[in-house]
Amino acid sequence: MASRYDELLAAGTRVVAIDVDSPGQHAAMVDKLELPFPYLSDPDRTGAITAYDLADPNDARGIAIPALVLLDPSGEERFRFVSRDFAERLPEDDVVEAAKRLGLSATTQEPIEVGPLEPGERAMPLDGMPFYFRGGRFSALAMGLRHGHHDDSIKEDSKAFVDEMDRFFEAAQALRARKAGN
Amino acid sequence: MAAPDFTLTDQAGVPWTLSEHLDTAVLLVFLRGDW
Repeated sequence: MASRYDELLAAGTRVVAIDVDSPGQHAAMVDKLELPFPYLSDPDRTGAITAYDLADPNDARGIAIPALVLLDPSGEERFRFVSRDFAERLPEDDVVEAAKRLGLSATTQEPIEVGPLEPGERAMPLDGMPFYFRGGRFSALAMGLRHGHHDDSIKEDSKAFVDEMDRFFEAAQALRARKAGN
Repeated sequence: MAAPDFTLTDQAGVPWTLSEHLDTAVLLVFLRGDW
Protein backbone atom coordinates (compact mmCIF):
# COMPACT_ATOMS: atom_id res chain seq x y z
CA MET A 1 0.00 0.00 0.00
CA ALA A 2 3.01 2.27 0.48
CA SER A 3 3.47 2.39 -3.30
CA ARG A 4 0.02 3.97 -3.73
CA TYR A 5 0.33 6.33 -0.78
CA ASP A 6 0.75 9.54 -2.79
CA GLU A 7 -2.32 8.74 -4.89
CA LEU A 8 -4.38 8.11 -1.76
CA LEU A 9 -3.31 11.39 -0.15
CA ALA A 10 -4.10 13.21 -3.42
CA ALA A 11 -7.58 11.66 -3.23
CA GLY A 12 -8.04 12.93 0.34
CA THR A 13 -7.39 9.61 2.06
CA ARG A 14 -4.97 9.08 4.94
CA VAL A 15 -3.54 5.63 5.61
CA VAL A 16 -2.93 3.73 8.82
CA ALA A 17 -1.75 0.12 9.23
CA ILE A 18 -2.93 -2.07 12.13
CA ASP A 19 -1.82 -5.46 13.41
CA VAL A 20 -1.11 -7.32 16.66
CA ASP A 21 2.62 -6.59 16.84
CA SER A 22 4.28 -4.24 19.35
CA PRO A 23 5.26 -0.58 18.79
CA GLY A 24 8.93 -1.64 18.85
CA GLN A 25 8.33 -4.21 16.11
CA HIS A 26 6.45 -1.58 14.11
CA ALA A 27 9.26 0.93 14.59
CA ALA A 28 11.69 -1.64 13.17
CA MET A 29 9.36 -2.34 10.22
CA VAL A 30 8.80 1.37 9.48
CA ASP A 31 12.56 1.97 9.65
CA LYS A 32 13.39 -1.03 7.45
CA LEU A 33 10.76 -0.41 4.77
CA GLU A 34 10.61 3.40 5.06
CA LEU A 35 6.85 3.25 5.56
CA PRO A 36 5.28 6.72 5.33
CA PHE A 37 2.16 6.11 7.45
CA PRO A 38 1.50 5.23 11.12
CA TYR A 39 1.58 1.59 12.15
CA LEU A 40 -0.69 0.83 15.11
CA SER A 41 -0.61 -1.96 17.70
CA ASP A 42 -3.72 -3.92 18.64
CA PRO A 43 -2.00 -6.73 20.56
CA ASP A 44 -5.10 -8.35 22.09
CA ARG A 45 -7.35 -7.40 19.12
CA THR A 46 -9.78 -5.53 21.40
CA GLY A 47 -8.99 -2.06 20.02
CA ALA A 48 -9.93 -2.29 16.35
CA ILE A 49 -9.44 -5.79 14.93
CA THR A 50 -12.45 -7.36 16.67
CA ALA A 51 -14.57 -4.21 16.39
CA TYR A 52 -14.17 -4.36 12.61
CA ASP A 53 -14.87 -8.12 12.66
CA LEU A 54 -11.39 -9.00 11.39
CA ALA A 55 -10.04 -11.35 14.07
CA ASP A 56 -8.99 -14.60 12.43
CA PRO A 57 -10.96 -17.33 14.28
CA ASN A 58 -8.70 -20.03 12.84
CA ASP A 59 -5.44 -18.65 14.19
CA ALA A 60 -4.46 -19.44 17.76
CA ARG A 61 -1.87 -16.66 17.84
CA GLY A 62 -4.67 -14.14 17.53
CA ILE A 63 -3.73 -12.39 14.34
CA ALA A 64 -5.93 -10.26 12.08
CA ILE A 65 -7.32 -11.20 8.68
CA PRO A 66 -5.60 -8.94 6.12
CA ALA A 67 -8.19 -6.40 4.99
CA LEU A 68 -8.78 -2.89 3.70
CA VAL A 69 -11.50 -0.64 5.16
CA LEU A 70 -12.06 2.82 3.67
CA LEU A 71 -13.94 5.29 5.89
CA ASP A 72 -15.35 8.58 4.66
CA PRO A 73 -15.31 11.70 6.90
CA SER A 74 -18.70 10.79 8.39
CA GLY A 75 -17.28 7.43 9.47
CA GLU A 76 -19.23 5.43 6.91
CA GLU A 77 -17.53 2.42 5.35
CA ARG A 78 -17.23 3.06 1.62
CA PHE A 79 -15.03 0.13 0.63
CA ARG A 80 -14.13 -3.15 2.32
CA PHE A 81 -11.97 -5.99 1.14
CA VAL A 82 -11.32 -9.03 3.32
CA SER A 83 -8.72 -11.51 2.10
CA ARG A 84 -9.28 -15.24 1.91
CA ASP A 85 -5.87 -16.02 3.41
CA PHE A 86 -2.53 -14.48 4.28
CA ALA A 87 -1.24 -14.72 0.72
CA GLU A 88 -4.04 -12.92 -1.09
CA ARG A 89 -3.03 -9.70 -2.74
CA LEU A 90 -4.79 -6.58 -1.46
CA PRO A 91 -6.63 -4.87 -4.36
CA GLU A 92 -4.72 -1.61 -4.43
CA ASP A 93 -6.23 -0.40 -7.72
CA ASP A 94 -9.77 -0.89 -6.40
CA VAL A 95 -9.22 0.97 -3.15
CA VAL A 96 -7.50 3.89 -4.90
CA GLU A 97 -10.48 4.12 -7.28
CA ALA A 98 -12.89 3.99 -4.31
CA ALA A 99 -10.94 6.81 -2.64
CA LYS A 100 -11.09 8.93 -5.79
CA ARG A 101 -14.87 8.40 -6.01
CA LEU A 102 -15.27 10.10 -2.61
CA GLY A 103 -14.42 13.35 -4.41
CA LEU A 104 -12.44 14.83 -1.50
CA SER A 105 -9.70 17.46 -1.65
CA ALA A 106 -6.10 16.34 -1.35
CA THR A 107 -4.87 15.86 2.21
CA THR A 108 -1.61 15.51 4.09
CA GLN A 109 -0.39 13.29 6.90
CA GLU A 110 2.22 14.34 9.43
CA PRO A 111 5.66 12.77 9.03
CA ILE A 112 5.80 9.90 11.47
CA GLU A 113 8.07 9.55 14.44
CA VAL A 114 9.83 6.25 15.09
CA GLY A 115 10.44 4.92 18.60
CA PRO A 116 13.07 2.37 19.72
CA LEU A 117 13.56 -0.42 17.18
CA GLU A 118 12.69 -3.85 18.58
CA PRO A 119 12.42 -6.20 15.61
CA GLY A 120 10.59 -9.50 16.17
CA GLU A 121 12.59 -12.70 16.37
CA ARG A 122 11.56 -13.74 12.88
CA ALA A 123 11.90 -10.29 11.29
CA MET A 124 13.78 -10.56 8.02
CA PRO A 125 16.63 -8.15 7.28
CA LEU A 126 16.08 -6.03 4.17
CA ASP A 127 19.09 -7.61 2.48
CA GLY A 128 17.42 -11.03 2.72
CA MET A 129 14.12 -9.94 1.22
CA PRO A 130 15.02 -10.09 -2.50
CA PHE A 131 16.13 -13.72 -2.12
CA TYR A 132 12.97 -14.54 -0.18
CA PHE A 133 10.83 -13.09 -2.98
CA ARG A 134 12.87 -15.00 -5.58
CA GLY A 135 12.18 -18.21 -3.65
CA GLY A 136 8.47 -17.39 -3.53
CA ARG A 137 8.50 -16.68 -7.26
CA PHE A 138 9.97 -20.02 -8.27
CA SER A 139 7.81 -22.00 -5.83
CA ALA A 140 4.68 -20.41 -7.30
CA LEU A 141 5.97 -20.97 -10.83
CA ALA A 142 6.72 -24.64 -10.13
CA MET A 143 3.27 -25.26 -8.61
CA GLY A 144 1.65 -23.67 -11.65
CA LEU A 145 3.70 -25.73 -14.09
CA ARG A 146 3.11 -28.99 -12.22
CA HIS A 147 -0.55 -28.58 -11.33
CA GLY A 148 -1.96 -25.91 -13.64
CA HIS A 149 -3.44 -28.52 -15.97
CA HIS A 150 -5.90 -29.54 -13.22
CA ASP A 151 -7.67 -26.23 -13.06
CA ASP A 152 -7.35 -22.79 -14.66
CA SER A 153 -7.61 -21.11 -11.24
CA ILE A 154 -4.33 -22.80 -10.25
CA LYS A 155 -2.67 -21.41 -13.37
CA GLU A 156 -4.07 -17.94 -12.69
CA ASP A 157 -3.07 -17.98 -9.02
CA SER A 158 0.43 -19.15 -9.93
CA LYS A 159 0.82 -16.35 -12.45
CA ALA A 160 -0.54 -13.75 -10.02
CA PHE A 161 1.94 -14.94 -7.36
CA VAL A 162 4.86 -14.85 -9.77
CA ASP A 163 3.94 -11.31 -10.84
CA GLU A 164 3.56 -10.18 -7.24
CA MET A 165 6.88 -11.72 -6.18
CA ASP A 166 8.54 -9.95 -9.13
CA ARG A 167 7.09 -6.61 -8.03
CA PHE A 168 8.18 -7.17 -4.42
CA PHE A 169 11.65 -8.21 -5.59
CA GLU A 170 12.03 -5.01 -7.61
CA ALA A 171 10.68 -2.89 -4.74
CA ALA A 172 13.09 -4.49 -2.25
CA GLN A 173 16.04 -4.02 -4.60
CA ALA A 174 15.08 -0.39 -5.21
CA LEU A 175 14.82 0.21 -1.46
CA ARG A 176 18.22 -1.41 -0.83
CA ALA A 177 19.78 0.76 -3.55
CA ARG A 178 18.18 3.89 -2.12
CA LYS A 179 19.37 3.14 1.40
CA ALA A 180 22.89 2.29 0.15
CA GLY A 181 23.00 5.70 -1.54
CA ASN A 182 22.05 7.58 1.64
CA MET B 1 -19.94 8.08 13.48
CA ALA B 2 -20.90 4.75 12.03
CA ALA B 3 -17.53 3.02 12.18
CA PRO B 4 -16.20 1.98 15.61
CA ASP B 5 -13.80 4.58 17.00
CA PHE B 6 -10.57 3.39 18.58
CA THR B 7 -7.33 4.55 20.13
CA LEU B 8 -4.21 2.45 19.53
CA THR B 9 -0.48 3.00 20.09
CA ASP B 10 1.66 3.91 17.09
CA GLN B 11 5.25 2.95 16.23
CA ALA B 12 6.58 5.72 18.46
CA GLY B 13 4.45 4.68 21.45
CA VAL B 14 2.05 7.61 20.93
CA PRO B 15 -1.75 7.10 21.11
CA TRP B 16 -3.56 7.47 17.75
CA THR B 17 -7.32 8.01 17.76
CA LEU B 18 -9.36 7.42 14.61
CA SER B 19 -11.91 10.19 15.22
CA GLU B 20 -9.11 12.78 15.43
CA HIS B 21 -8.08 11.96 11.85
CA LEU B 22 -11.50 11.70 10.21
CA ASP B 23 -11.62 15.28 9.00
CA THR B 24 -10.94 13.49 5.72
CA ALA B 25 -11.13 9.88 4.57
CA VAL B 26 -9.03 7.21 6.32
CA LEU B 27 -7.95 3.85 4.93
CA LEU B 28 -7.46 1.17 7.59
CA VAL B 29 -4.98 -1.47 6.41
CA PHE B 30 -5.31 -4.55 8.60
CA LEU B 31 -2.30 -6.83 8.37
CA ARG B 32 -1.63 -10.31 9.60
CA GLY B 33 1.06 -9.37 12.08
CA ASP B 34 3.26 -11.75 14.06
CA TRP B 35 6.23 -10.77 11.86
